[in-house]
Amino acid sequence: MSVTESATAQAEPAVRRLTTARAMVEGIAQEMERDTGVVVLGEDVAKYGGIFGSTTGLLDKFGPQRVIDTPISETAFIGLGVGAAVEGMRPVVELMFADFFGVAMDQIYNHMAKIHFESGGNVRVPMVLMTAAGGGYSDAEQHSQCLWGTFAHLPGMKVVVPSNPADAKGLMISAIRDDNPVVYMFHKGIMGLPWMAKNARAIAPVREEPYETPIGQASVAREGGDATVVTVSLSVHHALDVAEQMSAEHGVELEVIDLRSLVPLDREAVLASVAKTGRLLVVDEDYQSFGLSGEIAATVAETDPGMLRVPVRRVAVPDVPIPYARSLESAVLPTRERIKEAARELVGA
Amino acid sequence: MTDVRFPELSKEQPGAEGVLATWFVTDGDQVASGELLGEVMVDKVSGDVLAPAAGRVRLLVAEEQAARQGTVIARVE
Repeated sequence: MSVTESATAQAEPAVRRLTTARAMVEGIAQEMERDTGVVVLGEDVAKYGGIFGSTTGLLDKFGPQRVIDTPISETAFIGLGVGAAVEGMRPVVELMFADFFGVAMDQIYNHMAKIHFESGGNVRVPMVLMTAAGGGYSDAEQHSQCLWGTFAHLPGMKVVVPSNPADAKGLMISAIRDDNPVVYMFHKGIMGLPWMAKNARAIAPVREEPYETPIGQASVAREGGDATVVTVSLSVHHALDVAEQMSAEHGVELEVIDLRSLVPLDREAVLASVAKTGRLLVVDEDYQSFGLSGEIAATVAETDPGMLRVPVRRVAVPDVPIPYARSLESAVLPTRERIKEAARELVGA
Repeated sequence: MTDVRFPELSKEQPGAEGVLATWFVTDGDQVASGELLGEVMVDKVSGDVLAPAAGRVRLLVAEEQAARQGTVIARVE
């Protein structure tokens, strides 16, 4: 190999295709290698490897001192995580389903989120609360909610919601390194799990070396000039599918903004896109009222409602619990059909 | 040339049928020994398919296709 060839090989980072689940695990593992204060705890995170594959293989690599299966007591083990973080560790605590936050809300909201403020900024809580969100596989009202709007509504926590493997790894590394509590919410439908519905967008190239994806920075998942679709997580995949269909069928180009973080919220990215297109559709798998979709609409209305050529549209979950029956569940989720209908109305196609 | 076999996920039923869930590589890719090639599943239990040798990979089973444990699903040339 010549000197020139060797330099070229070094300049191109090593990349391979991974599922979102594997990318998350790689991010956690690389941080555990870098910092012995990074530990993982939660229900079924060790031997089982996380019921959605978010911690698979970590026990074998790092042992039971650092990858810890906990009893079924969210209050106890989230509290344990808060205590460890206050004492200087960087725990990654898995709450198996976001829906279960209710039993541990005092630890999450009154302690994890507030200790930094109550201590006058003297105490930090550098922990990651990672949790599975979302529906679409008949798991009903207590195992299908997104609830990111709830965490984002309560001050004191950063909230990140990746949509793809590369961001999942980079946001995990950023979340672990962040000195604030970060709620890391992964939709089960983006994980690339073999037993869930096949999702081609859940497998994508990921760089091998550790890297950070900045928290609070949206990404333009697809550029387009006719209308803006602001969304997050699995709905990004659906919005991209719809955008491709609308381009082919109607010659309409949708711009898809993947927020990636809800707290901090990249309002500038939303405003820049709406200033260009004049049309805004917000797609959110969380409940419609008092949530993300209203916040995005308010951001535009408070800044310059004159940017909008037509009223804002929202596709979210109507304010009902997620049904078990597949037909009813499909009726409330922001499916491609619902997104496409709203997008067509928005642009008059 | 090295055969890549569907891993034995169910010990109780050696001939159990599973599904080739995901190929992380594409047919004809150059792979390293030990590299992750794919993921298979038997009764909702998933397992990794690793490259037994370095070389050019030939995929013999498509994604979503059923295959029995132990059968050849790819070759490394």
